[in-house]
Amino acid sequence: MDKISQWMDGELSGHETQNQITRVKQDAELHRSWGLFHLIGDVMRGERALSQDFEQRVAVRLAREPAVLAPRHRVASRFTTYALSAAASLSAVALVGWLAFFNNPLVPQPGIAQAPATPPPAAVPSEQLASVPSDGKMNEYLIAHQEFSPSTEIQGLAPYIRGVSSTRQVEGR
Amino acid sequence: MKSTWPIILLGLVAPVLAAEDAARQDGLAWLTKMADASRRLNYSGTFVYQHADRIETSRIVHFVNPAGGEFEKLETLDGPAREVIRTNDQVTCYLPDAKSVIIEKRSARRFPAQLPEQMSGVADNYVVSVTGMDRVAGYDCQVVVLEPKDKLRYGHQFCAEARSGLPLRARTLSEKSQPLESFAFTELKIGGNFSRDQVRSRYAAKSRDWKVDHSALVLRDVPADTGWTLTRQPAGFKKLTELKRSIAGRAVMVSHIVYSDGLAAVSVFIEPLPKPSPAQSLSHQGAVNIYVRPVADHMVTVVGETPAATVMQIANSLEFRGGRGR
Repeated sequence: MDKISQWMDGELSGHETQNQITRVKQDAELHRSWGLFHLIGDVMRGERALSQDFEQRVAVRLAREPAVLAPRHRVASRFTTYALSAAASLSAVALVGWLAFFNNPLVPQPGIAQAPATPPPAAVPSEQLASVPSDGKMNEYLIAHQEFSPSTEIQGLAPYIRGVSSTRQVEGR
Repeated sequence: MKSTWPIILLGLVAPVLAAEDAARQDGLAWLTKMADASRRLNYSGTFVYQHADRIETSRIVHFVNPAGGEFEKLETLDGPAREVIRTNDQVTCYLPDAKSVIIEKRSARRFPAQLPEQMSGVADNYVVSVTGMDRVAGYDCQVVVLEPKDKLRYGHQFCAEARSGLPLRARTLSEKSQPLESFAFTELKIGGNFSRDQVRSRYAAKSRDWKVDHSALVLRDVPADTGWTLTRQPAGFKKLTELKRSIAGRAVMVSHIVYSDGLAAVSVFIEPLPKPSPAQSLSHQGAVNIYVRPVADHMVTVVGETPAATVMQIANSLEFRGGRGR
């Protein structure tokens, strides 16, 4: 089963892929899993509409035979592994984040018009605040934003360059 | 005699209206074709990203394997080495100079699933037309123009490869029709077989010792009512999603709300106010404007490929209406 998910993720070499194709062709159970994995993927990506009574049918079948979903357990355990390892590294992330705030705070840049001490009224003319070229401190937000931008759908990965774009000023300008 | 006038007028106006409608449908069809081509085709090439007075050259490889997996690699060729790798829904950024890796689990790609809704947003907010042919990277391409109907959004111009529809050039234009940002292939190969090695990071082994920020991988995408709302939502923008997530380098959960007009998107990030409290600031990266603003005990960061005024309107009309989300 793990091999199949590796295959779907493109982690297998050409030779191993060939082996998997042969296995899936011969083994009806694997073939079913293969189909199921793709179906799950399609549904999670919202590319396939579920039938209207889908939830109800699942509920009924779950009530009748709890073992039906057993083949998914191993998939779930992989996610659990991720979750645990991520939880372990979260404390590290917390520390890094904390350090980042103190070593690299969003201090006012020289040259930016200073903001008034109190929050501005709703309609603030943009002229009051001069826009400066991004210095790279916002890259994490740019990357996080990019995944939701329709421009990614039209242009693929190219717009991600905004989030990893060189932050250094070109010399000699 | 009088009664014939409306008929004559109708006869004159109707073909014009029909032609406009046909042009719009044609333009929308090209947009759909572009999205489809950039997702399904194998291609590799070099493109330039131009913004302000700077030009950066990058290499891009995209391929789809027979098992349905989608792989893409973006590699900068100028300045500090950077790599962005996509493996299906996961995007990994390698930043060798900072010895860090940022992993983003992409939410489901909306095209083509939500295409009809997005296209109706595009048709409502832009005048779409197919204007003529051009040539980019040696390929003939169809020019598709999206003119904004108001000042809340930028104009766009695409050139899609005539046969496949692959977007070869994408320009964003300011309110004064000045180019703000442009992506264009200078060299491109469409089709062909690719190996997994071509879309693997050259830092895959090296980066094991680097700082890996994959918090976004697990805690992402928890749909949530964040408790925040806009009092003055810009016309034509609809809420696309609202969730609680982590952001690379941030220890706390961040509320993330996305608004879109079908083509441009604006993200709102809300998190506890860091110390020291940031000043209000406005910055830009190409066509993307970024506005940071403290609101009570929160820091609000608004990021979007729209004019600064739109980004600021969203930030300034954000209000906490209470609820569980805080």
